[in-house]
Amino acid sequence: MSMLSSFLLISAGLFCIGIFIVLSKRNAIQILIGIELMINAAILNLVAFGKYDNLANSGQVFALFAIVLAAAAVAVALAIILNVYRQYKTIDPAKVERLKD
Amino acid sequence: MNILSLLIFSPLLFGLLIVVLPTSLRNLFRYITLIATLVQLVLSVWLYIHFKTGAAFAGVNHEGQYQYIEKVHWIGLNLGNMGKMQIDYFVGVDGISILMLMMSSVVMVIAALSSWEINKNHKGYFALFLLLDMAVTGVFCSLDFFLFYIFYELMLLPLYFLIGIWGGVRREYAAIKFFLFTLFGSVFMLLVMLGLYFSVKDPATGYHTFNIIQMMNPANYDKDSIFSILSHQTLFGFPARTVGFVVLFIAFAIKVPVVPLHTWLPDAHVEAPTPVSIILAGVLLKIGGYGIIRICLGIFPEVAISGAFWLGLLGVISILYGALNALAQRDLKKLIAYSSVSHMGFVLLGIASQTAEGISGAMMQMVSHGFLSAMLFYLVGVIYNRVHNRDIYSFRGLGTLLPKYTVFVMIAFFASLGLPGFSAFIGEAFSLLGAFNSHVFNGFLPTWMAVCGSVGILLSAAYFLWTLQRMFFGEIHLKGGEIWKLALTDLGRREMIALLPLALLTLALGVMPSLAFDKINDSVLALIQFIHTK
Amino acid sequence: METTLSHTDIITIQLAIAAVAAPFVVFLLNFFLVPKRSKVSGMLSGAAIGASLVLALLIFFRVWNQPALHVQQVWFTIGNTQIRLGIWLNNLSVLMLLLVSAIALPVHIYSIAYMKGDERYTRYFTYLSFFCFAMLALVVMDNLLLLYAFWELVGFASYLLIGFWFTREKAVQANKKAFIMNRIGDIALLTGIMLVYTHYHTFDLVTLFGAHPIKTTREVWVTIAGLCFLMGAIAKSAQFPLHTWLPDAMEGPTSVSALIHAATMVAAGIFLLGRVYPIFDSTVLTTIAVIGCFTAFMAATIALTQTDLKRILAYSTISQLGYMMMAMGIGAYSSALFHLATHAFFKCLLFLAAGVIIHEMQHLKHKHHLQIDTQDINNMGGLRKIMPVTFITCCVAALALIGFPLTAGCLSKDGILIQGFAWAEGKSWAYSIIPIGAVLTSLLTAFYIGRLMFKVFFGESRLEGISTDSEPEAHEENPLLYLPMILLALGSLFPLFSLDPLKFENAWIVKGFAGFAGKAESAGELIPLLISALSVGVVFIAYTVYVKQKLQWLKFKGVLFNISYNQWYIDSFYNGVIVKAMVGLSRAVAWFDTYVIDGVVKLVAGIGLVLSRVSAWIDKYLIDGFLNALTYFVKQTGNFIRGFQTGRVQGYLFTMLIIVLALYILKTFI
Repeated sequence: MSMLSSFLLISAGLFCIGIFIVLSKRNAIQILIGIELMINAAILNLVAFGKYDNLANSGQVFALFAIVLAAAAVAVALAIILNVYRQYKTIDPAKVERLKD
Repeated sequence: MNILSLLIFSPLLFGLLIVVLPTSLRNLFRYITLIATLVQLVLSVWLYIHFKTGAAFAGVNHEGQYQYIEKVHWIGLNLGNMGKMQIDYFVGVDGISILMLMMSSVVMVIAALSSWEINKNHKGYFALFLLLDMAVTGVFCSLDFFLFYIFYELMLLPLYFLIGIWGGVRREYAAIKFFLFTLFGSVFMLLVMLGLYFSVKDPATGYHTFNIIQMMNPANYDKDSIFSILSHQTLFGFPARTVGFVVLFIAFAIKVPVVPLHTWLPDAHVEAPTPVSIILAGVLLKIGGYGIIRICLGIFPEVAISGAFWLGLLGVISILYGALNALAQRDLKKLIAYSSVSHMGFVLLGIASQTAEGISGAMMQMVSHGFLSAMLFYLVGVIYNRVHNRDIYSFRGLGTLLPKYTVFVMIAFFASLGLPGFSAFIGEAFSLLGAFNSHVFNGFLPTWMAVCGSVGILLSAAYFLWTLQRMFFGEIHLKGGEIWKLALTDLGRREMIALLPLALLTLALGVMPSLAFDKINDSVLALIQFIHTK
Repeated sequence: METTLSHTDIITIQLAIAAVAAPFVVFLLNFFLVPKRSKVSGMLSGAAIGASLVLALLIFFRVWNQPALHVQQVWFTIGNTQIRLGIWLNNLSVLMLLLVSAIALPVHIYSIAYMKGDERYTRYFTYLSFFCFAMLALVVMDNLLLLYAFWELVGFASYLLIGFWFTREKAVQANKKAFIMNRIGDIALLTGIMLVYTHYHTFDLVTLFGAHPIKTTREVWVTIAGLCFLMGAIAKSAQFPLHTWLPDAMEGPTSVSALIHAATMVAAGIFLLGRVYPIFDSTVLTTIAVIGCFTAFMAATIALTQTDLKRILAYSTISQLGYMMMAMGIGAYSSALFHLATHAFFKCLLFLAAGVIIHEMQHLKHKHHLQIDTQDINNMGGLRKIMPVTFITCCVAALALIGFPLTAGCLSKDGILIQGFAWAEGKSWAYSIIPIGAVLTSLLTAFYIGRLMFKVFFGESRLEGISTDSEPEAHEENPLLYLPMILLALGSLFPLFSLDPLKFENAWIVKGFAGFAGKAESAGELIPLLISALSVGVVFIAYTVYVKQKLQWLKFKGVLFNISYNQWYIDSFYNGVIVKAMVGLSRAVAWFDTYVIDGVVKLVAGIGLVLSRVSAWIDKYLIDGFLNALTYFVKQTGNFIRGFQTGRVQGYLFTMLIIVLALYILKTFI
């Protein structure tokens, strides 16, 4: 097994864990963590493929971008979760079903 | 202005006058109607007096021999490749129609006099009355089948309302029954009429035509058309001409009425108010007879010849059946209604015999019955107006209470049962004679038919005399007691004015039948000659 | 008008027209102008009939045994045929003309007194004049159609007169019955006329039955036509089986019974037979004879037990008419007419006398406040003492009826009997039943009239507490009542009819119809003498029974008595069976009409309604239902899909994941 494959495997594993957390957790923060995990898995993928870059260190640069985006996303998401908490007094996504038909 | 058109449409003009006048002028409407009918009477008397007789004016199937003709091109719709639709306004009279016109004018006057008793919605009543008058006159004059059909249908509408609004207890039932029953017959007539239209071509213009006289001439039929004699087409397995005849006959038989298509008559007559009963019995029934002669015999003579036995049989059945039913009635008006069925049976028997005596007798019987039934219904109306009861068993001994009335009743009853000296005797005797003769003359009707028909004379004596005995003779005994005794006043002046002319007319016709026969003889002979050259 | 008539002939015709028209004019006057209870009406009618009598006499002497007169003109044309009306004056016409007016005049005079005080006096004479007009016209008409017309009009006049007192229940039942029964005969007559017309194309009596009558062939229709004419005569002359109206017709005023139902109208049937005589073939003639003989016998047996005075006379009339009919049947044409004439006189007289008797009984009833039937002979008796004129005239009439020598009735009856035996000679034994029956009837006649005379006039009064010796002279002091009776009585004696009281052939009537005479007689004068002797014996027996009150065993009340008393149950049969059957039939037909024929119409209407309801149901539940189902389906689909919107984000995410995976798998591996 090559070095690349083992990196990809780990990142795939992280991604699946991330999806599992998103789909099954009852806490919005935990879902956020899951989303983070998914993003980090994607970042790991990006770094792993950095070896084959056309431009210099583009993989690593893309990874930095992603890290920043992740941070921004978390910030916004936390703000939304805070507002949701204020409104619904809970952060269990299963309980926020006002868009149900 | 052609006098026939004037005769037909003058009631309409008076009707329009009534419609535009305000509703409050009730009395005026009565007089307007009376004047309208009198105008019509004067015109028809003029027509009658100036009617030319002689073999050259026989009419029937010679268009040129009709009198007072007006033929105006009316509807000429261009139907593209189906040719041009030719409907003419074609009116004229011959011997057969002139008598009917005279009689219907007289009956209308009597009905107008009888309409004094109407006490609600005068405007509508008199307007409808005059519309009916126009339609009836139109039927007798028109010689174009389409026009005939229009007037024929036009009769139904005013009658429906006249019966349904101003009638007795079960008036809606009677009105609808009458309307639907008659309509049933005439819608099929429409089909035959159209069939004839498409079969016949006017030799002058080359288009299809509704002209009745041209429909009588087999030379005018297209070679392969449905009603042509030569083509022998069939409809539903029967020869098309037979089907045509039967359908037309059914339509008129409902009007005559012939048993078993007569059941609308008792209900309609009983529930209708007196003047409407007078018109129904006096004129409408004759339209059936006239239709059979003019249209069934005229257009499909060979079917009439082969079916003469059945026609005669229906006539005899009507005579006997109507008389037996009359014998069983309690309601005086129903009794007279059934007696009308019986008397019109003589008409059918006479027509079926297709001899000169028979058809002349049938026509005389139609005229005579027109006057007599008008008289009879008027007389019933007299009693009903006073005490609102028509049951025979409610009255006894009216002869002592109402002597003048009893005299007229006896005249009407004895005239109706065929006492010589009155017109019905001539009509019935010659219808029977014609039927009898037919056995030897043209072999259509067996002799027993005439004998059975004469039993009808016996039965009419039975029911009329029994009614006389039950109602007019004996000690006075009224169901309503003293109240009725006070209400039952003898005939007033207006009533005498209505009844006296009828009695005199029937007497005059009985003593001088030439008054009628002179006008119709030529036409009847022409008709028979026409039928037998087929 | 034919131009070959001489001047005197034209005058004769005009006289005939005047004789017929005079009563008609008076009819119109009485109907329209004369007040209700005015005496003028009676005088007018009497004057008119008197004028008719005078004219009839004049005509008679001009036409009797002269060539017949016939004029006609066109009445109307029907088709190609001309129907004519005209007058035919031959021996028969003028005899009848004279007879009718001669009998009518005494009756008119009598009526003036008899109907005095009646509410509708004028109306009575109106009707009476109308009757005279119709009867006189009947006898002079020259064609069958008009004969039928006046035949019916005579019946109509009879209807009016029988029901004159129309508040009486029995009278109005009687006149209805009379008219209807006569109508039965009229239908037959009409059929006969039509048969004749169909085969000969003419109604004209002169052409058919005149001097050169038609030769009848041996065809069925000839027999049928003959039977039809016979039936007409049977109804009018009250023969079996259409005789039951005549006894009931006695409800009318007695003067009417005298004129119409004894002398003239009922004789019209015999007159008809005389008029159309050439059409009868041997079958029909035999039938006529049989019916006549049977009726005569039957009526005589009924008359034996009746208790109503007028009924006895009515049945006597039926019986005598039977004689006349029988005579016609056996070929004794002239004897039949002779008997018609003589019978008119004595029967009319008997009725007029009955009228006077009944009036007297009513007078007694009022005077003594009794509750009796004034027409029942069981209440009478000893009246000869208080009504001598009536008694004597009645005796004359009764003797004439029996056929006692020296009366006119004797001559006419002899003629019939003698010719009867002559006719039966040489034929099979069955034929002799007829003359023998006639003889028996003759004896019965003697008995019943004897009974009547004895019960009414002889003995003592059967009324309680009344003795005829002490009663004053009766009503008959009014000359208007007894003069006509005396005149008729004189007419019942032989001199009016023949100067020779013994030989009937010498009567001028018989001589006048010699052309139709039957066979010559053989056993001759023996029979009538024998019968006269037997009649006297019978009368004596009656005397013994009813006056002397012996031989009571003769009055058995057995089956025969009941049959006779109940008029052979014929009337009860007609009422109970035939009338009820007709009424029942008419009810059945009416039921049929309402429930079957109209039922079909209502059924059609009902089917229309049912169809319309079915159609409405289909429209509502099937067609509309289909649309509704469609919408339901759509709605349910929508509802289902809605369920996917749970509002839960994780659910959405999960679904998305699944679908992407599924798509990826499908794309890659399939």
